[in-house]
Amino acid sequence: MIEYILAVVLFAIGLYGVIVKRNLIKIIIGLMIMEYAVNLFLALIGYRSGGAPPIVEVGKNQIFVDPLPQALVLTAIVIGLGTTALLVSFAVRIFEKYDTFDVRKIRKLRG
Amino acid sequence: MQGMSLIVKKISQIMAPSIFILGMYVVAHGHLTPGGGFAGGVLIAGCFTLLILAYGSSKERSLVFKEKASLIESGGIFLFLFIALLGLIQGTLFFVNIFSRSNPGVPGALFSSGIIPLCNIAIGVEVAAALFAIFITFAIMRFGEKL
Repeated sequence: MIEYILAVVLFAIGLYGVIVKRNLIKIIIGLMIMEYAVNLFLALIGYRSGGAPPIVEVGKNQIFVDPLPQALVLTAIVIGLGTTALLVSFAVRIFEKYDTFDVRKIRKLRG
Repeated sequence: MQGMSLIVKKISQIMAPSIFILGMYVVAHGHLTPGGGFAGGVLIAGCFTLLILAYGSSKERSLVFKEKASLIESGGIFLFLFIALLGLIQGTLFFVNIFSRSNPGVPGALFSSGIIPLCNIAIGVEVAAALFAIFITFAIMRFGEKL
């Protein structure tokens, strides 16, 4: 149970970064922390105490961890990489236009 | 983007071949051990990223790198699609493991399980080139180049 609370605490840290911080790069880092917290939670769901890696042979009776959440998390990591690259490229474009990462100064229309 | 100090350059020069070999190992053993095409591709892309960060790169050379990375990425996707289409060429379904009869899956054997290692190699090429293209695009953005 304590592992799941750890994942929730990690998610809360990321949410704090997204809500409180005003630097765009720090907001992106907060989003990444939230994403990794969810990945950690999903990988923990598939964990079995004392389980082997999910490479098993037919006929052998042994405990192994659930491979389905791991495959799901691998896909989620790929998608997270794509969204992070997109967000960072947006941040680069915003910095080119406004010369700042501060979200309070980006509101003004300039063009 | 200019390079870093001599210590960083020398350590990168020593470490980069090991990282590259580890990435190739993870790609080749994708059907036997944890990892596979994506994880190995990330390692290979990390090797090239490390070298570019340590030694630096001019704007023109970065543009050439980006073109080549895009080309290799497209080649990886095409290879994956070709492997998938082999089933249709043979007269069965899309993505059928056509070598499963002649090359069945043996636990622990490297040359086994039909087209799965070939798919892993295609994915590894694609992911390595795509991640390197993302990195080099951000490096080109630092020169103020409009893409």
